[in-house]
Amino acid sequence: MTVRHELNGDVGVLTLARPEKRNALTPEMLIQFTEGVGSLIDRGARVLLVTGEGRVFCSGFDLALCIADPGGDTMRSLLTGLDTAIRVMREAPTPVVLAAHGAAIAGGCAMLGGADVVVSDEQAKLGYPVVRIGVSPAVSAPFLTAQGGPAAARSRMLDPGLTTGRGAFASGWVQELVATETDVLPRASEIANELATKPSWAITATKALLNDLTTPPHGGSGLAASLALTGGSEERELLARAMAPKDHNP
Amino acid sequence: MTTDLATLIIDGPIATLALNRPDARNALSIPMLKTMHARLGELEALDKDDRPLALIVTGEGRAFCAGMDLKAVLHEEGAPPRLLTSLADFTVRLRKLPQITIAKVNRAAIGGGCGLTCACDLSVTHADAKLGFPEVDLGVCPAVVAPWLVRKVGPGRARRVLLSGGTFDGARASELGIIDHVVPTLDDLDGAAADIAKRIASGGRTALAATKSLLNDLDGSGNLDEARRCATISADVLAREDARAMLTKVFAKA
Repeated sequence: MTVRHELNGDVGVLTLARPEKRNALTPEMLIQFTEGVGSLIDRGARVLLVTGEGRVFCSGFDLALCIADPGGDTMRSLLTGLDTAIRVMREAPTPVVLAAHGAAIAGGCAMLGGADVVVSDEQAKLGYPVVRIGVSPAVSAPFLTAQGGPAAARSRMLDPGLTTGRGAFASGWVQELVATETDVLPRASEIANELATKPSWAITATKALLNDLTTPPHGGSGLAASLALTGGSEERELLARAMAPKDHNP
Repeated sequence: MTTDLATLIIDGPIATLALNRPDARNALSIPMLKTMHARLGELEALDKDDRPLALIVTGEGRAFCAGMDLKAVLHEEGAPPRLLTSLADFTVRLRKLPQITIAKVNRAAIGGGCGLTCACDLSVTHADAKLGFPEVDLGVCPAVVAPWLVRKVGPGRARRVLLSGGTFDGARASELGIIDHVVPTLDDLDGAAADIAKRIASGGRTALAATKSLLNDLDGSGNLDEARRCATISADVLAREDARAMLTKVFAKA
């Protein structure tokens, strides 16, 4: 399993466990993630804690797999799996705390859009530089726009650069900032344990209301927009360029 | 009315609405909200050219507002929805005033009181004031105030605040965006609020009202149906056996 899930008391922990690839997402991982959320809730988790093993939370889609599949089916599975993973977090009756330590990039950054509390560190690298590889971030754009407002969404999705944990805190994509990456998981666990003590009926009603009040206006159309670009020549070309050995880059 | 549960003072271009139930730390009760509505009615009835331009909202005594007076309504049939709907209506009505409203938060704004703060256009408090939304800790749902917090701080931070419960100080409220201006101590508060009100009142009457009305349209502030639907959600959670049992225990301890 490259996504582990376990119940620690009342806290259901989901761990991206592919540290040797900086937790780069595969279609299977996203399926395991979604199944893990369902299983933990069925087993009575009162809070979900999402984390990544190793040095960073998540570096995004595994692009090597995408390049190996020029027809685009892998990219399509990743986009569909990501959309589902974000939605199951958002629709879970429990709060979701996400520990984004070190880096949360592209698809990894998109995961933030489904969480209720995101903890990150000052110097973490966060961002959504997917236009660089010819991919549209539309799949999660509605969620991240709802999270931090339209201005942050524009600058983060149109500029293929990265921001820091502090920058993401200022724009509202991160709600809790700690000094270093090693502080992230302890703080996120502390928050998760605290939320688990609250009366579950009040938490569930409050989360459902917030979902209702902040439903992305175009929530349904994001995935279709991302899928529409997949498998095109621009994506193939830019992916190949991004994955080429650095010294061959112009 | 023998007691004046809310007072309105008009001083030229600046009006002040003060919640006046200091013995209950200005907890929002049905009679008090009725008086607050009546005071807004007086303001609304003023001739267009005599209208104040700014309205300071504050609380007499030891708190701005300690929240909903749930203790008073918990065991009275039909009272919780009436109280919550009255607050929902009040917040929308307050928001629709042409005056620019300034919440002057003295000492404490909890739950519904913190929601009232967010429904104002601007807010000022002192660094060691106490604010927050501890509803979930009490087993209730802060639905009636949620739309105002979402408008004030955005959905991401609103999630963090409402799902976490608890309270925080004025400085933290400022970081979160609930408070626009923070002064060091309570002694500085009156002067700071007066300065803001004066600055606002130096603006053009028509320009201020038109700008506020536009901002209200853009963020859906006038949505009375939504406000009432949220009041119903708060009331539904409050009607649950487990919520009532929890609150009864809390009130017995207090």
